[in-house]
Amino acid sequence: MSGFFENYGFLIVTIVQQALLGLSIYFPLMAGQLSLASIGFYSLGGYVAAIMGTHPYFAPWRAALGFFMFPLEWLFALILGVVLGIAVGYPALRLRGIYLALATIAFVQVVNVAVLNMPVAGGAVGIFGIPQAFESRLDYIWFFGPLFALAMFVVYRITAIGRGLAFFAVREDELAAGAMGVRTTANKVTAFVLGCALAAVTGAMSAPFLNTWNARQGTFDASVTCLAYVLIGGSRSLWGPLFGAALLVSLPEVLRPLKDSRMILNGVVLVAVCVYLPQGLMGGLAALRTRLAAGRGGVA
Amino acid sequence: MKRLAPALALVLCAAIPALADKVATPIPIGIAVGQTSNVALFGQEQVNGAKIAEERLNAAGGVNGTKITLVFQDTAGDEAGAVNAFQNLINRDKVVAIIGPTLSQQAFAANPIAERAKTPVVGPSNTAKGVPEIGEFIGRISAPMTQVAPYSVKQAMKLNPDIKRVAVLYAQNDAFSSSETVTFQDAVKNLGLETVTVQKFQTTDNDFTTQVTAVLGAKADLVIISGLAADSGNLVKQLRQLGYKGLIVGGNGLNSPNMFPVCGALCSDILVAQAYSPATVDKNPVNKDFATAFEAAYKKGPAQFSAQAYTAVQVVTEALAKIEKETGKKIADFELAELREMLNKSLRTGSYMTPIGEISIQPSGEVEQKDFYVSKIVMNPDGKTGSFVLVSE
Amino acid sequence: MDFAWLLQSLLNGLSIGSVYAVFALGYTLVFSILGIINFAHGAVFTLGAYLTYALAVGRFGINGLLSDLSLPLTLPFPAALLVGALLSGLAGMAVERLAFKPLRRRGADPLLALVSSLGVALIVVNLIQYLVGAEIYSFPSDIFGDLPMAVIFSVGGKPVAVRTIQIILFAASMVMLAGLGWFIGRTRGGKALRATAENADTASLLGISVNRFILGTFFISGLLGGLSGTLIGVSFGIAGPYFGVSYGLKGLAVIVLGGLGSIPGAVLGGLVIGLGEAFLPPDMSSYKEAVAFVLLFAILLVRPQGLLGGRLEQKV
Repeated sequence: MSGFFENYGFLIVTIVQQALLGLSIYFPLMAGQLSLASIGFYSLGGYVAAIMGTHPYFAPWRAALGFFMFPLEWLFALILGVVLGIAVGYPALRLRGIYLALATIAFVQVVNVAVLNMPVAGGAVGIFGIPQAFESRLDYIWFFGPLFALAMFVVYRITAIGRGLAFFAVREDELAAGAMGVRTTANKVTAFVLGCALAAVTGAMSAPFLNTWNARQGTFDASVTCLAYVLIGGSRSLWGPLFGAALLVSLPEVLRPLKDSRMILNGVVLVAVCVYLPQGLMGGLAALRTRLAAGRGGVA
Repeated sequence: MKRLAPALALVLCAAIPALADKVATPIPIGIAVGQTSNVALFGQEQVNGAKIAEERLNAAGGVNGTKITLVFQDTAGDEAGAVNAFQNLINRDKVVAIIGPTLSQQAFAANPIAERAKTPVVGPSNTAKGVPEIGEFIGRISAPMTQVAPYSVKQAMKLNPDIKRVAVLYAQNDAFSSSETVTFQDAVKNLGLETVTVQKFQTTDNDFTTQVTAVLGAKADLVIISGLAADSGNLVKQLRQLGYKGLIVGGNGLNSPNMFPVCGALCSDILVAQAYSPATVDKNPVNKDFATAFEAAYKKGPAQFSAQAYTAVQVVTEALAKIEKETGKKIADFELAELREMLNKSLRTGSYMTPIGEISIQPSGEVEQKDFYVSKIVMNPDGKTGSFVLVSE
Repeated sequence: MDFAWLLQSLLNGLSIGSVYAVFALGYTLVFSILGIINFAHGAVFTLGAYLTYALAVGRFGINGLLSDLSLPLTLPFPAALLVGALLSGLAGMAVERLAFKPLRRRGADPLLALVSSLGVALIVVNLIQYLVGAEIYSFPSDIFGDLPMAVIFSVGGKPVAVRTIQIILFAASMVMLAGLGWFIGRTRGGKALRATAENADTASLLGISVNRFILGTFFISGLLGGLSGTLIGVSFGIAGPYFGVSYGLKGLAVIVLGGLGSIPGAVLGGLVIGLGEAFLPPDMSSYKEAVAFVLLFAILLVRPQGLLGGRLEQKV
């Protein structure tokens, strides 16, 4: 058993880390906004942590704070996420549907080029030798785990209280929600900024986790993969991102014995899940439960 | 809090080490390179070279009669993939050493895993500053090209003493190219030449008319390119087609037969800085054996990535043989953890005669390579195939 | 900023921009009908180049399942281009059948089609690598016969140069655009297509079989994707199974810039982005990759319907 965790510890933590990125897309999606900006904020958050962890300018800070440098990095990433999120969100959220998605894709691409051109970000090699918080990769669950629990709690609260109703109202019918006095723009920006902040903090935790950070962390492919976590998991369930990430992150590892053809199979599974479980894994689960319940009812 | 309890259990489990494994026979050596994703072009060259090494070294008796076997785990092109491949090789495949990963960025993420597991790593292609410094179990056989770059510019000046104005172009998103260009730009300055323009591109670019227009506009009489095969090939082709007549010096990324199909006859006369030259077969019997076997298997000359992968496997195999000789004990009689530590020390002692010439690994893990080369590309009349001809010793 | 430089940049921009335009048309056609972006379009583009290569040259490298294989029969290049394009059209139809139709039928979240089309792209790209490896393939340089490499002329004492392949790219793209324009404007099929794009429900009331027209649209989209892939492959070589990715992304910028779903818009968008890249000042080459996306972001903020888009639809 210990061998299992030795081998798959990194993978398990990666699932939670990726699920966080999924959640960061889930937030705006709750208010009906399809934003793919998360990965750009993830990239920037990682750079915040990487630079604060390695740049000589911060050496006295690191010496003074020790382990508490990590929470400070999260805080800086959080501030960056909120400020930049508002700056991007206000103009971008006037757009809807696919237009917003495309604007956020453009944002991610521009961030990528900008980062490559910033000397402090280390160019194509990026930043390496980032101070480690833990010896074992598995121990990073102490970073991502509580953040995940917190994010889930926020989602849960939002769903349960008035704001969530406002979010959902915006999602279902923006015009009607506006007419009924829901402040649609404020709600949309709040949902968007929550996602940005979460992605930035996740990035700040990921830089020490990966020990290196570079411009390849924030690619278009990664953006769409994060969206896939949500949709494959089930976009109407708050557990969707976790289940989606668990499936999509572990799939290439499960398929490892297939060697050269494993990525083909990976694509096949992706298509098959979309086709056969159009409500995602959670939707499929719910349908199964209903069917079982109905079956029992039929007998009685 | 309920959610944290299982996590805590995980941590406790992981703390108990799984030890006392014996070394398997045949001796497993891990190869973790990018066989899928957009680094696959290099990954498959590395796999090809490593497979030739497995076959040739086993034919020559392996480790004093015990065969070696290569275990391949795909890293794909990202950091997480490299970490997962390393974990599998270390814990499940129980290899004695790992050869990989393909990219320096992946090395920064995955090598600490091997360092922690006290498993030696031999990097076959990562050249970035800071890789050997990751830890004491991290080494490489791929040299950063700090010496050969200035030398190739000097060669160009020998061919045309009138060179004054230099245009430098490099692939901005490639780790190797963007650090190599710094060396080139310093060399240009130190040789008293003027850099008239620095143009950047991406390895995914095809159309270089913007950059070429800038080079022609700056009236450069020497062009220095740091990039990879496909992009640099197109760049050279477009430079020539649009009327650039001067000399072209290419960095180590252009040291690949993959250039030939892209720029065809227009590849001719590029001066290329090389860490491996197939043209040394007359003086280097190891290279001759490797190049002959490679040609027989693939009907194509070996690329640098293949030669370096071969070299890495050879170095590990010879270091294993050294351990047997010094201890008088067969490898299979060692415990795995003990052998990995001994192998790491053994790798760093003595020198190796390999296809890339004589090399040794310093205690720091950095490679010391004796010979670098500057070659000129000579294309055959068919305009599709060509070769690298050594310019001078 | 002399006249020769302006002219040179104009020619460079028009040439690459026209290819962006043809590629992006495939996106925009599907978008106009389904209101969704087909992420597999980049993969069909790549596939088209490989198919034409297989038909015209038919020799494979040292990696992959088909290593060392030489096809016994090869076609002359124009025929290979045509057959390759038709096969790409069929591939486009397969994408519709695999990734889009099943989801429509099940009434799934339309966003899911983004993921399923991405899945199909993953399959295609990795299948190509599995079969023929990741190495660089290129067409022989004499497929167009013995043409000079470039046309060089002098403007105000300074040379302006255009590569022959740039001229061919531009001309071929214009022919394709004209052909598409004729099809959409003048034929019954094209008119039905437009009607379906305007409003699928009304179209079906008018007796147009919507499913058949969606399939037809995917065929044309795949055809255009395959053709532009081949054009790029001929001009620059096929740099491995991932060589379509950067075009796929820029294509998104092109269609938004011109106006989602607008065919003249895609053409204009392609040319504007090509010209934008070409007119970048020489010391700013490091920002060339950002040009398309800065334009995309800017147009969305100023005029979300794009340069030539009529109205902002409420499709997802």
